[in-house]
Amino acid sequence: MDLVSAIFGEAGPMLARTSRYVLPLVAALIVARCVGSMLRERYEPETWAYLYLPGNVMVPLRHWECILGRARSVDGQVNDPTVERLHACLIRDAAGDWTVYNLGRSETYVNGMRVPPGGSPIADADVLTMGSAAARFVDLTEEERSSLLKYRHAPGRRVRPGVTLLLLTVFQVLLLLQQLTFNPGAGLGVAIAFGVVAAVQWVYFIVLRASGQTGFEPELLAFFLSSVGMSVAASKTPEDMIKYIILFLVAVGLYVFLCLWIRDLGRVKSVRMYAFVAAVVMLAATRLLATPRNGAYSWIELGSHLTIQPSELVKVLYIYAGAATLDRLFVDRNLIFYIGFSAACVGLLALMGDFGTALVFFVTFLVISFMRSGSFATAFLAVGSAVLAVMVVLSLKPETLSRFAVWGHVWEDIYDKGFQQVRAMSAAASGGLFGQGAGNGWLVDIYAAETDMVFAVVSEELGLITALCCVVSLLAMAVFVVKSASKGRSSYFVIAACATMSMMLAQMILNVLGTMDILPFTGVTFPFVSVGGSSMLGCWMMLAFVKGCDTRANASFAVVRPERFTGGAGVEDAGAGDEGWYDDGYSDDAGGWYDDGYDPRGGRG
Amino acid sequence: MKKVTGRSMAVLLLVAIMVAGMGVYLFRLARDGGDWASFYANDSVYTQGVLNRGAVLDRNGAVLAAAGEDGLAYAEDASTRRGCLHVVGDLAGNIGTSILSNYLPELIDYSFITGTTTDGGTVQLTLDSAVSAAAADALSGKKGAVLVYNYKTGEILCLTSAPGWDPEQGVTFDLDDPAYEGAFIDRAISSTFTPGSVFKLVTMAAAIEQIPDIWQQTFTCSGETIIGGQRIVCTGHHGTITVEQALAHSCNVAFGEIARQLGGDTIARYAEAYGLTSSHQLTDEIPTAAGSVPAAQGDGDAAWAGIGQYEDLINPYAFLRFIGAIANGGVCVEPTLLAGEKPEQVQLMNAATAQTLAEMMSYNVQYEYGASTFPGLEMHAKTGTAETYGGTHAWFAGFITNANAPLAFVVIAERAGAGFYVAAPIANTVLQKAVAVLD
Repeated sequence: MDLVSAIFGEAGPMLARTSRYVLPLVAALIVARCVGSMLRERYEPETWAYLYLPGNVMVPLRHWECILGRARSVDGQVNDPTVERLHACLIRDAAGDWTVYNLGRSETYVNGMRVPPGGSPIADADVLTMGSAAARFVDLTEEERSSLLKYRHAPGRRVRPGVTLLLLTVFQVLLLLQQLTFNPGAGLGVAIAFGVVAAVQWVYFIVLRASGQTGFEPELLAFFLSSVGMSVAASKTPEDMIKYIILFLVAVGLYVFLCLWIRDLGRVKSVRMYAFVAAVVMLAATRLLATPRNGAYSWIELGSHLTIQPSELVKVLYIYAGAATLDRLFVDRNLIFYIGFSAACVGLLALMGDFGTALVFFVTFLVISFMRSGSFATAFLAVGSAVLAVMVVLSLKPETLSRFAVWGHVWEDIYDKGFQQVRAMSAAASGGLFGQGAGNGWLVDIYAAETDMVFAVVSEELGLITALCCVVSLLAMAVFVVKSASKGRSSYFVIAACATMSMMLAQMILNVLGTMDILPFTGVTFPFVSVGGSSMLGCWMMLAFVKGCDTRANASFAVVRPERFTGGAGVEDAGAGDEGWYDDGYSDDAGGWYDDGYDPRGGRG
Repeated sequence: MKKVTGRSMAVLLLVAIMVAGMGVYLFRLARDGGDWASFYANDSVYTQGVLNRGAVLDRNGAVLAAAGEDGLAYAEDASTRRGCLHVVGDLAGNIGTSILSNYLPELIDYSFITGTTTDGGTVQLTLDSAVSAAAADALSGKKGAVLVYNYKTGEILCLTSAPGWDPEQGVTFDLDDPAYEGAFIDRAISSTFTPGSVFKLVTMAAAIEQIPDIWQQTFTCSGETIIGGQRIVCTGHHGTITVEQALAHSCNVAFGEIARQLGGDTIARYAEAYGLTSSHQLTDEIPTAAGSVPAAQGDGDAAWAGIGQYEDLINPYAFLRFIGAIANGGVCVEPTLLAGEKPEQVQLMNAATAQTLAEMMSYNVQYEYGASTFPGLEMHAKTGTAETYGGTHAWFAGFITNANAPLAFVVIAERAGAGFYVAAPIANTVLQKAVAVLD
């Protein structure tokens, strides 16, 4: 308040009240610009190599993992009756070397040499023979990739991210103005909080823009959602912003780190086993060390000021470990291992009594499974799904069940089981389209409103338009990921991104529709917006997977530019000697083509 | 790879679920948002559970109740407070059919667009403070109801129920106290009463249309008669009379005979056709109680039903509509309580029947009640004294045709005596006030 009157004098409160009508407009503009840029602009696939088939038919290879065969669903279709439906598989590693694997019962040859079960390398100008069809493999040189790149459309030309960022800054200034005016507790801490968010986003933008990046939509949406979340935190605990700001910095830092980390698929794969182990250990530790809250063992209290919810971080590990490259997808036991891993996670969540999170994991499991499943796997996955579903049900504790009892009838139990939701609905309606003003709501003082009912808090304080903008942000990100999938390099990134968005959407669905009594109220967080350090860390890290599948030209620093692959030397040299240690025991001996151990030959150099 | 990327469509299923869910939410918000926002825990419009915005006004803009940060303020005049109590209501929600109980979204000025971010709204009523105050005073301790409305415009000037209390004092009485029996009930709209002789208007209307020689018939009243084995007692010895005289004298013998000729089914059918057995809407949010006129089987019961006894039960509001239709040539202009509301019109009865009934009601006043009883009022009316356990309900229902005051009215004083002696003076007092106010 003092700050506002110091700057604006008498006009401050008037300005803040008027700004309530500007804020949703700015929010809508920000989201519309990001959505337009992500979904409306052209998005051409990349080309990595060509196959020249008999009759001079040219088949471009658009991915790092391509299946060849007669079937229509393959990536390189060879119309020859002697070719099997799924005949062979071409896989490019991060260093740019290609390996061909035989998939079918008949043989595949490279330059007349039979492809062994472990696959054989294939290079530019080699002849690939499947059945009676002989195809010439043409790899692209660095120059060719560079020149192709010119024909690809880079984001950021029509919808300039800098302008969007400017709008986002205006949005933050308005939020701050309203907080300082309406929220008696808001002061310097809140001002610093918004200042830090704005500073971080600008530094992030300037650094990446200088390095040639032009695609910023997912991050801009995440910064937007985080700003909304920051406002909710300011309404809830204005005196406690510094801790939250530090966590925000850590979250963005981890996001940047993870983006850089996943640039190298070999590196990613090399530590997947650690992710498997870490996920299970963290959940188990949580169950043992947690302080129960409402019957759920989800929170570990570290001292009196820090409470962590490890399941939010395990989400990242679950996706990291659950996504897989195409070669692995063809191996049954990988799938069984994955189902076992998922069962362990959901089982532990069941023991913790965290029904909401168990449900979110289950939905993500279903999506990952569906994407992973080949022809064989369906039955297996059905069984796995059933087992997990039972575990989800087992995670239901009496406290949660009693909430189920009022599902659809919260207005009939306003004093007890429906207590939170009727208040959430009342407050949300009170906000109208434009809101009461940031910091001017009462719902945030209700238990768990800033997390489980945050959609209602945003509706009340910032209005329905801004609340819907939050929803649309995540929906657009999900559609964008689906759009990116068909241009993905590796199925690992495609699956990871889809899993990430499934997880976030599942949370949003349970959060929003649970609050509004359309689904049972399960108490999960709204990604990025719900107040909570663990949730914020998890969401920002998962955002890296979204960036990881964005293969638009110059769009994502989590994705190596195609012309930058120099092969062997330099930054992309992905740790030699990390050959899939967790595959030990079942890679080479099985005689399959599937060995997904990263090949450390270091490129063509 | 193509297969994997194709299956990424699974994510779109979640998108679709969310979109559908938001559709449901937005629909419910648009439909129920006002009710949600009116919830007592909504601190944006309640200060410690007490409404802090909104006002109820009478037809002249005078405040009947106004909420502010300091609580709710009522009209300054105590009689006005009592006269409008059941319509306005109190913040404790004691009166379920009141404006304060049913128009919270309007009072907090809720809208889908602005939510509750305005300074509150007003609900302006058609009620007249002065007429309502006069009604409260005229009832003076009696239980009952006074209803007055303009049968041409539909505006309800007075809808007063008793017993009530002074809302400024709050509920200080004992609910078991017989003097406050049903104090929370708006008798004008939520109660039904045995109508007694006012129901003869219904029987008369049926006779006009169903008995061709009704005007040629004469009836001989010697104080009582036997119909269908039941003894029908009359209020006097009326001798040989015409049907006009029978209505004016309210002769039970004659109407018992007319009812016998009509039969119980016909009487019930007419009561139904005139809306006396159905529930109506005082406003969109406030329904009225439905009366009941069962089809009496056998001549004896039919005779009693035709003179408003038997099992007949009538709601005062429904009877007001019926009277309004008679006054307005058969077309009922639906009574309205909210100012500015466009009234609907229904052809409730045949125009000629309405005309005839109106003339007979004027005849009642001229030759039985005495025009001088209602100085300055062009009165058309019918009395009723309904036999019930514990006393007789005094009814007086009718309309005046004064140029500036086309008003229909119903007065009922519960177990308070005879219609002419108890209810008619109340009607006179209130109507005198109304005519004065409207001039």
